[in-house]
Amino acid sequence: MHKQSEELIANNIEQYLNVHENKSLLRFITCGSVDDGKSTLIGRLLYDSKVLFEDQLSAMETDSKKWGTQRGELDFALLVDGLAAEREQGISIDVAYRFFSTDRRKFIVADTPGHEQYTRNMVTGASTADVAILLVDAREGIITQTRNHAYIVSLLGIRNVVLAVNKMDLIDYSETVFNAVVEEYQAFAEQLNIPNVAAIPVSALRGDNIIEQSANTPWYHGTTLLSYLETVKVDTDHAKQLPMRMPVQWVNRPNLDFRGFAGTLASGEISVGDAIRVQPSGKTSSVARIVTMDGDLDKAVAGQSVTLTMADEIDISRGDVIATTEAPASSADQFETTIVWMHEDALLPGRPYLLKIGTKTVTATITNIKHQVNVNTLEHTAATSLELNAIAVCNINTDQQIAFDPYEENRAMGSFILIDRISNATVGAGMLHFALRRSDNIHMQAVDVNKQIRSELKKQKASVVWFTGLSGSGKSTVANIVEKKLASMGQHTYLLDGDNVRHGLNKDLGFTDVDRVENIRRIGEVAKLMVDSGLIVLTAFISPFRSERALARSLVDDGEFIEVFVETPLHIAEERDPKGLYKKARKGELKNFTGIDSPYEAPENPEIFVDTSVMSAEQAAEKVIAELRKNGLIG
Amino acid sequence: MKSVSTVDSLNAQRRRAVQLRLAGETLAAVSNEVGLSTPTIIAAFKAFQTGGWPAVDVKPRGRRKQSANSTEPAAKLQESVVQTMLNSSGNTLWTTERVQQWLHAEKNTQVSVQTANTYTQQWGLAPPNLNRAARQAVQQNRAGAAQWMEGEFADFVNAAKKHRATVLWIGSVSCHDSHTLLFAQTQRGKSYWQLHPAQPNRQHYLQFVSTLSDVIGAPLALVQPSKELIALFNEDVASLTVATQIQMPSKLISSKAPNKNRQTAKNTTNTTNTTNTKLDATTLSEQSEQDKTMNQTEPTQPIDHLPSAEQQASNDDNIMNQAKQSSSALNPSAETLTHLQRLEAESIHIMREVVAEADNPVMLYSMGKDSAVMLHLARKAFFPAPPPFPLLHVDTTWKFQAMYQFREQLVKDYGVELITHVNPEGLEKDVNPFTHGSELHTNIMKTEALRQALDKHGFDVAFGGARRDEEKSRAKERIFSFRTAQHRWEPKNQRPELWNLFNSRKQSGETIRAFPISNWTELDIWQYIHLQNIPIVPLYFAAQRPVVERDGTLIMVDDERMPLNKDEVPMMRSVRFRTLGCYPLTGAVESTATTLPEIIQEMLLTKTSERQGRMIDHDAAASMEKKKQEGYF
Repeated sequence: MHKQSEELIANNIEQYLNVHENKSLLRFITCGSVDDGKSTLIGRLLYDSKVLFEDQLSAMETDSKKWGTQRGELDFALLVDGLAAEREQGISIDVAYRFFSTDRRKFIVADTPGHEQYTRNMVTGASTADVAILLVDAREGIITQTRNHAYIVSLLGIRNVVLAVNKMDLIDYSETVFNAVVEEYQAFAEQLNIPNVAAIPVSALRGDNIIEQSANTPWYHGTTLLSYLETVKVDTDHAKQLPMRMPVQWVNRPNLDFRGFAGTLASGEISVGDAIRVQPSGKTSSVARIVTMDGDLDKAVAGQSVTLTMADEIDISRGDVIATTEAPASSADQFETTIVWMHEDALLPGRPYLLKIGTKTVTATITNIKHQVNVNTLEHTAATSLELNAIAVCNINTDQQIAFDPYEENRAMGSFILIDRISNATVGAGMLHFALRRSDNIHMQAVDVNKQIRSELKKQKASVVWFTGLSGSGKSTVANIVEKKLASMGQHTYLLDGDNVRHGLNKDLGFTDVDRVENIRRIGEVAKLMVDSGLIVLTAFISPFRSERALARSLVDDGEFIEVFVETPLHIAEERDPKGLYKKARKGELKNFTGIDSPYEAPENPEIFVDTSVMSAEQAAEKVIAELRKNGLIG
Repeated sequence: MKSVSTVDSLNAQRRRAVQLRLAGETLAAVSNEVGLSTPTIIAAFKAFQTGGWPAVDVKPRGRRKQSANSTEPAAKLQESVVQTMLNSSGNTLWTTERVQQWLHAEKNTQVSVQTANTYTQQWGLAPPNLNRAARQAVQQNRAGAAQWMEGEFADFVNAAKKHRATVLWIGSVSCHDSHTLLFAQTQRGKSYWQLHPAQPNRQHYLQFVSTLSDVIGAPLALVQPSKELIALFNEDVASLTVATQIQMPSKLISSKAPNKNRQTAKNTTNTTNTTNTKLDATTLSEQSEQDKTMNQTEPTQPIDHLPSAEQQASNDDNIMNQAKQSSSALNPSAETLTHLQRLEAESIHIMREVVAEADNPVMLYSMGKDSAVMLHLARKAFFPAPPPFPLLHVDTTWKFQAMYQFREQLVKDYGVELITHVNPEGLEKDVNPFTHGSELHTNIMKTEALRQALDKHGFDVAFGGARRDEEKSRAKERIFSFRTAQHRWEPKNQRPELWNLFNSRKQSGETIRAFPISNWTELDIWQYIHLQNIPIVPLYFAAQRPVVERDGTLIMVDDERMPLNKDEVPMMRSVRFRTLGCYPLTGAVESTATTLPEIIQEMLLTKTSERQGRMIDHDAAASMEKKKQEGYF
């Protein structure tokens, strides 16, 4: 195969280029556990399709002697291992992308490692793949990891799967063994939603049925791995048949006469003159032009990046979805989803995260973990939080309506990532199943007497004064004095603290991270109602996490949330120890105690800052009152 | 004309080949004898070893049932296609793809484009490859060929590039029972043609050009080989007939408003006339309407339907403003997007995401080929607006002179904002690769300077042209690569990237490097430059240049700052560069490749990877990773 293209290159480069500019692109992922031979397979494809250069080959030969596991023979796996750290460990630690091409196609391979971090990496690699190659060691048959991989492949909606039964050379190319493995797989795969499975007996090390039909498996009449990859249907062709969707990335306004909406077509086709609907706003217009630098187009298809102009002047901004009027997307703010958790810090229900879907970013909270899925057994288990690599079906709320399609139908319109609001890390990925209709049935009751009227009656500006600090820092003491002073000034106040909340509203909650988040969420909601009633609300809770304080802040209007950081060094708070809690915690009798075995995240920009190690409670309270007055919250 | 071999004759050949192999003949000898390619012989022999004689025959599975070979005799098929071409309207242009579609639609035969091309050639319906003919003439040192190719022709191509016009050869050649093939051909050999029963007249030519202009959708720059030029060509091209002649350098023919033209072109019953096509100047001339061979010498007459001067001026504006560009391969096709179309769309998507979410983005611009592609993509992403960010060139002061010239030209031509930053401390201490060594030089003048520039201007996202295929550790680089406030890259702490959802959030002080061409390979880059006519620094093309050889690497003596060792004498050699950096650190390769196809050819046939020319990568095995952690790209 390669010989021919080499001749063509040498003799007729123009024709070669002609052939090669008409190639399509296929992305695939190889899945397998540590010793199944993934890296060897990819190395073999790179080697046989001759994308390797001589210096890379000689580096591989040197490396093979130094690090190789094939006793000095070429170790293809070394070709595809990149980072220094993993080279020393002998395993790859992340997702890497490899490239090779044949006369028909260019290929991008996602290479993911097979150990504990596997779920996260494999989900990442599978998210962009058209095809998955499931590698199975012929000697081992279908093992736990195979089930795990097959489940993730079906979860990520990959339509085409190759079951590559590898290391056939080690079982004397036995047809019986091969058939047994395939049968075992089929029995298991019936539970999963994978439409097309092709089983191929291969030896990545020896090259059997990789590129050429192997003489060692005369009983096998199917295609070779490479010819399968060259002919299988790519995903964009599938996406083209779906209803048209284009998430708007960028509004292009070079001058007053041009207003274009730039984006990549997620699915379907669009032509000049087509009627469109903007979602979620619901406005309609029709396409006036499809603009590209190569000239206007009559039609654009899924996968193309274009700029559209509309026949009417309508308001469209980044994050909106342009859809066909015939079959628009759904719009909702409550969903059932499957979430894959990708971070060391666990997912906590109730904690707000940023959710990016298409080109839109909104705030979202997981309201309920319905069940976690054991990726090895597919069993459903209950969970209150999700650890790294956990996969679970969850209900999720967003703070705005978003346009979407179920992931199963449209990958680009149903996929999202979750971002931590403080660290900005990508902490999770998810797939939308369907909208929860509950949200349609709860309508806000519009009332005639509002917050403003109630506040005016009390001659004050309603607000939340949120005290935060370590246990023993003096929050409650200071808050108490502040309330007394406010009351004596004729202000209407209410103090929420551990005594009146923990014993009633929140008596079902403990002190785990999950419960702490829920505790603060409820307090935030109660404080919000009280602010609505026109009160000045004081709260005195450790409230150790930034994100929950940010949540409480987001529940009330701008300027209504006053964060008071009551600072005291840990050792002074521990000396004071008014309730003897630090002692217990040090002895290990009290778990999850803030400052000891649970973190306290200090505020970065509190409205008011008091340090009780250098001032008395009375002085601190005076300072708080003075600041409130300065901010115009009291007269 | 070679006849299409039937399955039976092929099988006979295969069996014969196996017999000869069994008899101990060498592959080359067998190939000579039976006329099959070496891989085919090997395959046939392997099949024999596995399955005996019956296995030698081609399997019915491998050859489609409705193949042209099996349903219709070759001669009949040929007659059928000739009739179809003769009967097709004047608005129809034939291409290899159309032949492929025709075979599929009319003959129920599915073949690849390559095969369609082979058939077309076998039927004698493929135009000769003029570009190749011209280059062969140069290679064979035919008198005057090189002068013309490098002089007039090169000037013409450059002029066309400025107008973003597609350069096309145009001509006619007789074939089949005195039919004539009227054809146009791109620089990379893609042909468009019509078949006429007799010599085409002027009206035929004009309609052909008009249709061509609609189909290509860009200004056209037409080259008609003069008879003097044709005389230089090899025999297979020498039968070329030129009905009209064009003086060199010829001018541009451009098409106006894209949309209307296209719609007209689609509607084949509506005759497209020459009002859609405007000639820039009166250089298109023709010979008399009847068939004239090039051997005849007759006075030429100007064409009489040229636009007025105003029309011409507005047309010129149109070319500049619309900056329309040709690329048949990158126009949307009805079928699957090509790999370059998908890569282009992905890169544009990434760039738009960055610009939408960044506060103050910048594009790192190194004047290299990857930068050139990146800039071209940026212009596409925000068209008709210019890219909404400046370019930043971190200047080590040791780049090639040709690169500096190219940089100045770029600013002039595109009107882009370009910021240049040189590390002032490095400049003060005269840090250079000779006295300080490559590592320190790179560290101070590049890595450190880049950090300074980003900090100084407060850029929060920087586009870089790194590709994953360049080096092993880059294969794991994210497209959005997060850097700490100290500009460090932490390979163990990268954000997962799923679907096409990129997380661009960061704290103030932290930065992101965005790599929009991560998924391109070196071949993709070259092919795209070729297809899109993207201007690149001339150093990529071979020319006589002064070089010295050091540690097996050819270093170009680019200016007087280069200290020469005692016994070193710069020698003129035909060299080019596969990668461009600081000239003392960039090795040249000996080459004669002066065109993009030749560069690509050389690249594909050469067996050392691209970065080997760069001396900074040689330092240690995992050096690139270390540099990246420190902030070097």
